[in-house]
Amino acid sequence: MKFSINRAAFIKELNNVSRAISSKTTIPILTGIKIVASDAGLLLTGSNADISIESLIRADDPDIGLTIDEPGAIVLTARFFSEIVKRLPEQTMTVTVKDAFQTEITSGSAAFNINGQDANNYPHLPEVDAADSVVLSGAVFKELISQTVIAVSNQESRPILTGVHFVLADNQFLAVATDSHRLSQRQIELPTPSSAAFDVIIPGKSLTELSRMIGDDDSDVKMQFSENQVLFLLGDTSFYSRLLEGNYPDTSRLIPKDASTTVEFEAPELLAAVERASLLSHESRNNVVKLTLTPADNQVTIFSNSPDVGNVEEALDPKEITGDDLEISFNPDYMKDALRSFGQTTIRVAFTSALRPFTLVPTEDTSNFIQLITPVRTF
Amino acid sequence: MEKQEVYDQFKQLEGQIQEVLAQFTDLQAEMTQVFEQNAELEIENQHLRDLLRELQRDLPEAPETPQGLSKSRQILEKLYEEGFHVCREFYGTRRKQDEECAFCLEVIYRDQ
Ligand SMILES: [Zn+2]
Repeated sequence: MKFSINRAAFIKELNNVSRAISSKTTIPILTGIKIVASDAGLLLTGSNADISIESLIRADDPDIGLTIDEPGAIVLTARFFSEIVKRLPEQTMTVTVKDAFQTEITSGSAAFNINGQDANNYPHLPEVDAADSVVLSGAVFKELISQTVIAVSNQESRPILTGVHFVLADNQFLAVATDSHRLSQRQIELPTPSSAAFDVIIPGKSLTELSRMIGDDDSDVKMQFSENQVLFLLGDTSFYSRLLEGNYPDTSRLIPKDASTTVEFEAPELLAAVERASLLSHESRNNVVKLTLTPADNQVTIFSNSPDVGNVEEALDPKEITGDDLEISFNPDYMKDALRSFGQTTIRVAFTSALRPFTLVPTEDTSNFIQLITPVRTF
Repeated sequence: MEKQEVYDQFKQLEGQIQEVLAQFTDLQAEMTQVFEQNAELEIENQHLRDLLRELQRDLPEAPETPQGLSKSRQILEKLYEEGFHVCREFYGTRRKQDEECAFCLEVIYRDQ
């Protein structure tokens, strides 16, 4: 195998694929990056137990300056290889595989010789069926991920809840996550009618990694499945993740249907007030802020108190408020995560009682995005 | 005391401490198990009562509290407040650091 390539373009793809490579893997060959040179171009593969990333660098792309002199394949230890490529002196570089997987990397007058491994020993990536697939714009998909992964559990003792539950049925694409303390649910009607259907749980960590790879050019992301894998196609890059096994709990029943008190705020204003109150709640053992709502007087107050430091009280400016008087306490960090996910918009907060979860929705679209927070019991 | 004797006594004491520690750990595990089992049984009992009531539709609903909770829901609420999950998802396990659980609250307060 022998090829030459523009170093900058190569480094970019190398970085993408390296996201999947860990030096702490139990399968030694997976510390390597697999490179396959063919007439089509270079195919780079990186993989760990959870995700695999495969990227094609096309030979016919003039910006990349790729010349394949001899097709072939090799696995090179990712850590060394990346460091070497980044530090080479010239704009272009050449990789040549010699006898016994010895690989020479040259650029200008620098020449490295490193040990490679037989690419035939590298595990095969799963076959993925294109039958039930979803195509969404990169920006929409990135937003959906950022809105739901905040509610994913980080407790490995609850493996199912470390994922986001995706359901496609009747052209409605639903993503929901909960760590049992809060919940976030986003729903999107597919732009083009589809008869596809699926019900899967994708690890939150995979989605965070995927979202970093979705560029700002807003090109489409295609999602398709195999038995236990999901594949996301982003241009010439394929991102595979394992699926979580098991049944996701029924979360629809967690969302209260009625409300006894509702109040509307500008999300950034409420966020700023909660951030101020949490300055003190963070100094207290139980990290709680209290909201007191008096609809008759158009009044909402936020309060927090730390026995060691002091307390804070602020009168808020609700845009609209109706229903019964209520005093409710909650963890401000959940509230902050939820409010940040709304951005610049007006939100409606709906309460049922001081003991039951409350919900936040944007007023402009009250049915497709909902955040739920469980209050803290105070006695 | 001879040095050797001091060493021997230390060694002996160390063995005893380790033994006590092992006993302590065992007891703690056993206690947790008993508590969790107790919570599980109470929930199971609750489910059976619900089932019984469903089977005998004419049986009067247990008296309600001012908050509108039936007797059986009150038991679940009490268990929750004592620090146990009463939800199907984490059934009978301890609520770590008194974490709030949306699944439990749904079981306790859902509309009848
Ligand atoms: Zn629970």
